[in-house]
Amino acid sequence: MPGRIEQRLAERSIVLPAAMRAMANYVPYTITGAHAWVAGQGPFLDGKLHYNGRLGENVTIEDGRACARIVGLNILAQVKAACGGDLDKVVRCVKLGGFVNATADFTQHPEIINGASELMIEVFGEAGRHARFAVGAPNLPMGTSVEIDAIFEIRV
Amino acid sequence: MAGKIDARLKELGIVLPPAPTPAANYVPWVVSQGLAFIAGQIPMQDGKPGFVGKLGREFTIEQGQAAARVCALNILAQLKAACGGDLDKVARCAKVGAFVNCTPEFSDQPQVVNGASDLFVSVFGEAGKHARFAVGASSLPRGVAVEIDAVFELKA
Repeated sequence: MPGRIEQRLAERSIVLPAAMRAMANYVPYTITGAHAWVAGQGPFLDGKLHYNGRLGENVTIEDGRACARIVGLNILAQVKAACGGDLDKVVRCVKLGGFVNATADFTQHPEIINGASELMIEVFGEAGRHARFAVGAPNLPMGTSVEIDAIFEIRV
Repeated sequence: MAGKIDARLKELGIVLPPAPTPAANYVPWVVSQGLAFIAGQIPMQDGKPGFVGKLGREFTIEQGQAAARVCALNILAQLKAACGGDLDKVARCAKVGAFVNCTPEFSDQPQVVNGASDLFVSVFGEAGKHARFAVGASSLPRGVAVEIDAVFELKA
C-alpha cells in the first residue's frame, strides 16, 4: 500500500529519479540519531545531467528554478533511501544549503533555490518548511547550475 | 525579569534588531532534536540589505567585519525567537557557516568572519566558541558582502 507521501507524489505526477551514487569518496547520505544528512545533489534525471551553465550568463531565472527543482527531486530520492523506502518516516525538512553557479554580479539566488524549497513544501506541507542558505559559487562540479545539500529529521 | 544573556547584551550595549523575515519561501529557523538551525542571515538593516558590495573591491576588512557582525546580530534575533524569547536556553553555539562575497584574489575570509565569531563569544562566553567555515562566494543574494548561517544547541 503506498504511503501518504507516495500518494501525494502520485497525485502531483511527481516521479522521483533513481538515487544517484556519490561521485567520489563519500556517501550520498548518513544517518545520525534522528537526522539524515544528504550529500550535495545535482540536477540529474535518468542518470543524465540537466541544466549546465551559469546564472547571469547563459541560464535564465526560470531555468535556474527548474534546475533547483530537479536537484530537490534528487534530494528526495536520497531521503527515501535513507528512510528505507518509506517517505512517511520524514518528520520534517530541517535545512537546505543551496549553491548557485552564478556570475560575480548575480543577486537572485533566493529565487533560484525556491525551486527546491517549493518542492519540499508541495510534498511535505508544513513539515517541508526549512531553514536554508542560498549563495553563489563561481562554478560547480560538472558545470551544473545548482547544487543543494540537506538535513531531514526522520523517525528511526 | 531579564535573563543572564539579556543582561549580558545590555552590558555590551547590544540591542537586537527585530528578527528579519525570510527573503523567499523558507523559514528563518527550525528546531530539531535539541538543535536550532538558523537560516543564512544577510546584513539586513532596518528592513533593507546593508553592505552591498564585495570584499577586495568595495569593502575593507574592517567593513566586512562590521557586515559579519550585523549578520550575527540577525542570527541572535532569530535564535531568540527560536528559544521562545529566552536566550538563557542556549546551551552553546555549535557551528557557524560563513560566505564572504569577494573578488577571486581575496583571502582574508577568516578575519572578516571574526566579526560574527567574536560577537558570539562576547555574548555567550565559553559556550559561544564554535566550529565554523569561512569561504569566499562569487556572489550573494541582493549583492550583500556576507551571509552567515548557524547551528546552536538548546538546553533540554
